[in-house]
Amino acid sequence: MKKLIVASVGVVAALALSSCSGTGGDAGPSTELNVYAWADEIPQTVFDAFTEETGIAVNVDNFDSNETMISKLAAGNSGYDIVEPSQYAVQQLVGQELLEPLDKSKIEGIDNLAPKFADPSYDPGLEYSVPWVWGTTGLLYNAACTGGEEITSWTSLFDPKWKGKINMLDNMLAAYIAGLQVNGYGADSTDEAEIAKATESLIEQKPLLSGYNSTNYGELVASGDVCISEAWGGTSTAKIVEQNPDVHYVLPEEGGSLWVDGLSIAKGAPHQDAAYEFINFLLRPEIAAMATNDGGLASANAAAQEHVTDQGLLSNAAVYASDEQVANADFIVDPGKAMRFYQDGWTRVKAS
Amino acid sequence: MTATTRAIHLGRQEKPKRGSLLLLIPGIASVVLLGVLPLFIVARNSFAVADDYGGITDGLTLENYTKLLDPVYSKTLLFSLGLGLLNTVVCLVIGYLTSYYIVSRPTNRQGFLLLLVIIPFWTDFLVRTFAWITILGSGGPIAGILGIFGIAGFSVIPSNLAVILGLLYSFLPTAIFPIYASMRSIDPSLKEAATDLGASWWGVHRRVILPLSSPGILGAALLTFIPTMGVFVIPVLLGGGKDPLVGNLIVTLYTEFRNQPMGAAVSMVLLVLMLASMALVGLALKRSSTKRSSTKKTEA
Repeated sequence: MKKLIVASVGVVAALALSSCSGTGGDAGPSTELNVYAWADEIPQTVFDAFTEETGIAVNVDNFDSNETMISKLAAGNSGYDIVEPSQYAVQQLVGQELLEPLDKSKIEGIDNLAPKFADPSYDPGLEYSVPWVWGTTGLLYNAACTGGEEITSWTSLFDPKWKGKINMLDNMLAAYIAGLQVNGYGADSTDEAEIAKATESLIEQKPLLSGYNSTNYGELVASGDVCISEAWGGTSTAKIVEQNPDVHYVLPEEGGSLWVDGLSIAKGAPHQDAAYEFINFLLRPEIAAMATNDGGLASANAAAQEHVTDQGLLSNAAVYASDEQVANADFIVDPGKAMRFYQDGWTRVKAS
Repeated sequence: MTATTRAIHLGRQEKPKRGSLLLLIPGIASVVLLGVLPLFIVARNSFAVADDYGGITDGLTLENYTKLLDPVYSKTLLFSLGLGLLNTVVCLVIGYLTSYYIVSRPTNRQGFLLLLVIIPFWTDFLVRTFAWITILGSGGPIAGILGIFGIAGFSVIPSNLAVILGLLYSFLPTAIFPIYASMRSIDPSLKEAATDLGASWWGVHRRVILPLSSPGILGAALLTFIPTMGVFVIPVLLGGGKDPLVGNLIVTLYTEFRNQPMGAAVSMVLLVLMLASMALVGLALKRSSTKRSSTKKTEA
């Protein structure tokens, strides 16, 4: 009965959609584009330039976590054309059939992407996403607080020497990057024993922590309330590094990890022609460079680097980590069935 | 509240007319649509099976509840209950004293004092919590005062003390208003009479004002206890996130863990606990009112 209702609702919706797109086709190309993106990752200047060139009005909504975005898309009828999932979220969205496969014949300029992002493990052949910006998970520390000691390894996060002055990101997958790599495993492990060992390390680490915080950890490090914190690279971290000469961001020698947020087309997007136009626009090197110039983030577009006005950012590890560090870092991918081991472990860590 | 009691009284006096039932339809429809229906969906989901991507499949299982018997969950639940109770008690004591102070001011000043209580709440909740980070943090005034006495580098954040302060600050007004409302209706001459008859300050409160304002106090207890259980920002920002509350657990289950059925199960457990606490308060109210009317009768 329920299935029947769902099916009939689906048929009605499909009819409504097809009639809409039918009239849309008659009236010419779309004049609107609905974008659902991370806050501040696609600078307003990019949207403005797009609207100016194409006349297509862009409506932007922001989300603050992949999980929020996924649940909104999963609820159905979101009306979004372009969404901006992170690498593991692409896998999850594909698994839930919430993304349209990309028609490569409609995309121009995909060769501009940096080699690391041309054929990534989370989306082989870039069937569903076009990488836009990327960053790293590493260590943020305050040299004034550590007494000038350089921090280069995850082991410092587990060192009793810094008891009460350590912060971890309040995020399961992020915490396990440190927990797994400090034990010599890959951050994308799906092995039950390895994850159990990481859980053990994280439980042992808990009494040493000032706390789990993924909101204002940068300020905590800058003020010296915390000496060392696990940290996400990106705009806010880069700003703190720039403002305070004592604060440094490094990728740990164990590797750290890489995130990448890309552009995808939502299933049933009402303005697909405009969505492809938008993706092509963002693949242009001079537009992609605006992610760095106006957004302070690293662009996945290699050809964009020469258009970056502040060339110093290309050597700021909190924005552009060096090529060899990037090669050494793991992509965090969807753990699939192993998610259970992570969740059980993380629940135990939090309750310990 | 008054509208409902009036409706109940009306109902006792005469049968509602068909016209008035028609008028009720929009209200009932919105309550069913926005309140009851979502609740039923959550209840249904709590018995469902999650797929790997956080979706809900059609299955029917008790596993989401049996898993909660694991000590890791009961620990979080007990900690939240404890913190909720502690916060309620602290809010009630301070709320009672504040309300008493406001009620004993001249009537024309009371409105202004209540306004002072509510003004901070014109600002967003998150902004106020960040303000507490500044006040209690290492660069803040408290650390500055302690610095004068030679205690350097002291920060109240992160600690459970900071969490308790943050909770108290957030829920104090919800305790003050119901208590104030019930205290205001107490005839001031009762207090004078009690004092004339030799009751001490403590005696006046214990035997006169406290019993008479008990409906407000019990209401305030519910209004602070129930939302405290659902708080999830304060423990992270002020407490360092090392001791999660039930609210944090639900957020984690729904978002990070993509386990809606289990999140729904925890929500249902919380709901049952809250209904139970409301039932307890209801019973207490009933008992105190029958007791009062029976003592009145014996006195008469």
